[in-house]
Amino acid sequence: MRATSAGLVAALAACSLPDSDYFGRVPAGDELDPRVFRWCNFNDPDSLDPALTSSTAASPLVSALFDGLTTYGFDGNPVPSLATTWETSEDLRTFTFHLRGDARWSSGRAVTAYDVAYGAIRVTDQVTASPNADNLAPFKGAVATVSRRVFVLRRAVGPYAAGTVVELATPADPPGDPNRRTASRDLALRDLGAPASAAYATVAAGSEVALVMTSGGRATLPTPAGAAAWAYVYRAGAPGSGDGGVYGWVPGAELDGEPAAELAFEVRRVARADEPGLLVALAGDEPPRPVVAAHGRDLVRSPDALGVRVPDAHTIVFETAQPTPFFLSITDNRALRTAPIEAVSRAPTHWTDPDRIVTSGPLHLTAWRHRDGLTLVRSPTYWDPGAVKYERLEVLTVDDQAAAANLYYTAACDATTANVVPSTYMPVLNGEQRGRPYKDYEVSTNLGVYFAWINTKRVTNRHLRRALAYAIDRTAIPHFTHGGEVASAQLTPGTPIAKLAPADLAACGVTRDTPGVALVMTAGELCYVPPPGLAFDEAAAQREVALARAELGDAFPKTLDYRYNAGSEAHKQIAEYLQAAWARLGIDVTLTAEDFNAMLADGRAGNYDIMRFGQQGNVADAESEFMVLFRCGTPDNRGAYCNPAFDKLLDEAQPLRDRRARNAKIREAERVMIEDAPVIPLYVYTLKTLVKPYVRDYHNNVINQPPLWRAWIAKP
Amino acid sequence: MIRFIVRRLLASVVVVFVVASASFLLLHAAPGGPFDTDQRRSAAVQRAMEDRYGLRDSLAAQYGRELAMLAHGDLGRSMKRDVTVNDLIAQHAPVSALVGALGLLVAIGLGLGMGVLAAWRRNTRTDYGLMAVALVGISVPSFVLGPLLIATISIHLGWLPPARIDGPAGYVLPAITLGLLYLGTIARLTRGGMLEALGQDFVRTARAKGLPERTVVWKHALRIGVQPVVTYLGPATAALISGSFVVEKIFQIPGLGASFVDSIAERDYPVLTGVFVFYAVLLVLLNLVVDLAYGWLDPRVREARA
Repeated sequence: MRATSAGLVAALAACSLPDSDYFGRVPAGDELDPRVFRWCNFNDPDSLDPALTSSTAASPLVSALFDGLTTYGFDGNPVPSLATTWETSEDLRTFTFHLRGDARWSSGRAVTAYDVAYGAIRVTDQVTASPNADNLAPFKGAVATVSRRVFVLRRAVGPYAAGTVVELATPADPPGDPNRRTASRDLALRDLGAPASAAYATVAAGSEVALVMTSGGRATLPTPAGAAAWAYVYRAGAPGSGDGGVYGWVPGAELDGEPAAELAFEVRRVARADEPGLLVALAGDEPPRPVVAAHGRDLVRSPDALGVRVPDAHTIVFETAQPTPFFLSITDNRALRTAPIEAVSRAPTHWTDPDRIVTSGPLHLTAWRHRDGLTLVRSPTYWDPGAVKYERLEVLTVDDQAAAANLYYTAACDATTANVVPSTYMPVLNGEQRGRPYKDYEVSTNLGVYFAWINTKRVTNRHLRRALAYAIDRTAIPHFTHGGEVASAQLTPGTPIAKLAPADLAACGVTRDTPGVALVMTAGELCYVPPPGLAFDEAAAQREVALARAELGDAFPKTLDYRYNAGSEAHKQIAEYLQAAWARLGIDVTLTAEDFNAMLADGRAGNYDIMRFGQQGNVADAESEFMVLFRCGTPDNRGAYCNPAFDKLLDEAQPLRDRRARNAKIREAERVMIEDAPVIPLYVYTLKTLVKPYVRDYHNNVINQPPLWRAWIAKP
Repeated sequence: MIRFIVRRLLASVVVVFVVASASFLLLHAAPGGPFDTDQRRSAAVQRAMEDRYGLRDSLAAQYGRELAMLAHGDLGRSMKRDVTVNDLIAQHAPVSALVGALGLLVAIGLGLGMGVLAAWRRNTRTDYGLMAVALVGISVPSFVLGPLLIATISIHLGWLPPARIDGPAGYVLPAITLGLLYLGTIARLTRGGMLEALGQDFVRTARAKGLPERTVVWKHALRIGVQPVVTYLGPATAALISGSFVVEKIFQIPGLGASFVDSIAERDYPVLTGVFVFYAVLLVLLNLVVDLAYGWLDPRVREARA
């Protein structure tokens, strides 16, 4: 339906558009209001809570509302923000950030390292169920914390002293939660150190709460002077109901009941690499870690098991289990953005409503009309008062591509987010139809790759997979996708080498005429050039298919099925194009279109031979964003590919501090993988934006994180 | 009369129960779940997300919880957006209702007039002309009409905004697009009903009394002639004010239709069930209103019911 209506409007509009340099109306100088920036966004944000959002629609807004240790620069690389300086340990496992002293929440309170730590604690808490928790996976204990498999000993058990970080020794789920608590008196939930009279919620005596953290821990707020430790507890709402529960601090002594005290656990100390506080480089063998029996009363789930430490209000230290050369790129991620504990506690599921929200970023939210728009204003409390040149950002929420393009055409918005242009408009915009492109139509590379997974459990023959990959002439695909996509047989996406800046060419060690793409990791400095892959070669395809036939004999598959998600003309056209190419090899492929979730379910169940897919990276790093998909047995490895040689090369790459040496190893690994052909890369995604000529400093970057607060309107 | 209403309302409880159960079971039967993603996600995080909504409990337990919440008027939380279903309906339903009401105004206002005129001047050029217009209204789907109006009136002439409601002007094109869909049907039903009414005894009586033709048509015949339209208006009103997904999409109206359709694709169980139940209640109530309207329009029905 969308294609039909978009097509109609495009056909009608295109045949009679006025001959102009720009697509649609450009308001005259005296019409422009530099105080307001109007931005067409695609889809309503799923949430503005940095812990809960996972949508493209919310991402640039969340970055504008909540400050991070670093934030997105124009090129998508992190630049200092809340943190002004930082140090990295020699072994790439410890990262220390120093925070500025003048940062304020919109409530007036100072933004401290505890707010960053609280964000991480909240994201890795199972109760939060944050879709972003995996972004913190490099942290010690993070993954185990989400699945509640890691504890701190409250007293000595067996050979282990109190305070030792232990993990569940059995593969089964934990027998229960040792952090369940009750109180014999009503609990008055309040801010840390506040009197009971300042309570904003009460939990009736005897009702159960969950202990989230206690004051005075490695990463938690200090205990008020002269008091015993306070406890931060959660009173849950019914699952799925409108009641989102409530959090609050109470004096720890008030929690006098432990319903889970008698539960039996089998635990052992965590591996050295996962032990928080162990700041020395790891060498030598792992000491023995005997399994001991413990009870619920011996254990507590605690953020102390997490590799986060706050030595003082303006310093935060992160420890990772493995060397993490791309760590800085985690610090601007929404999973590590600051979270205002007072606001979150009172209304965990709706604290981002305009009347409740407390922000720390350059912009502040004043209105959110669902599915219609949002209003953000320049934050008066932001540490850089000159950062935002406009007074107000009006976000127009649009969920139809034709409508977005039409709104831009009539100058209802000054710029659009990426990829709101219907494919039927693209031949008009990119100059295919009238010989020259519109000047306000920008196409840039996206860190994303469109590919076809091959289910290696079903298509077991390597030669057959290689034949499938060799058979495809990718260069034809952009002619029917129309969006300037970059045809590529390489899995790791990047910028076409022909378009690289001279400094980047040198960094990549390539010449302008080298075919393919390259991933610039730090401009002019560090670059990853993926191996060429199995590019179109008809003879090679014939050769491989003959080998496959010889090896498989009667087992050579009569037909293969190719799945793609319905609703997009491009997926269908690509599927038919692939089908035709494979038919020339004598391989019969049936096409199945299904809805997206059904396709994902089939993918998970392994119920497919070949499936179209895409992968977007958040960080300019080939290993952490793309190669990781092909490791044996990981849940994201949808094609069930497994080659120990590939895994070994990645393992070897991990501890390398020299990032060039690391890239070389990763490249070697990628070559091993791509030669096995568990995947058929087809093209690199692009970002297509419409930006009126009077808008300045609005640029998209490879990870599609435009820093909205830097844009401004130039009045001639 | 009171007994009639009470009986109908009791029956509607059964209808709502059936609708809630059917939508719950059908959507759960569809492959995939609300937290399926093409992004990378660990098993631990996936589980935590499913646990938050009790999705790993047995289907029976989830069903029971859903019904218990429904009985308390709590339609639950969306699994995909930061909003409760009650809030979602409260935010979006009024928008749909307003646009729908304007569309209905267009449809009834023009449709009734056209139908009466066509019946009155039956088998003349006026009749044929009006019915041709009605036929076009019925035949041209809104996803053709809407973009056509946008391309000509908004893009070409620049008279009205191409999408969104940022002021009164934003209502014009959606109301016309919605209204024209129903206008044709209403015009044809009115014409049919009027033709029948105009041939009945009471009309002949009225004419014999020497009443002016205008009074005969508009006051006496229309009351009876409009009955098929009233029957049609029940479901049509429900459809119009509950939001036409297509028109809301084309014109980017923040109504309930889009939430409803997205919830199916996203497997957002609570939203789908909640909106379904809301639609069911709306339809039941509107049908009740229609039934009551018969009595008001036609004394014979009133007597039969009493």
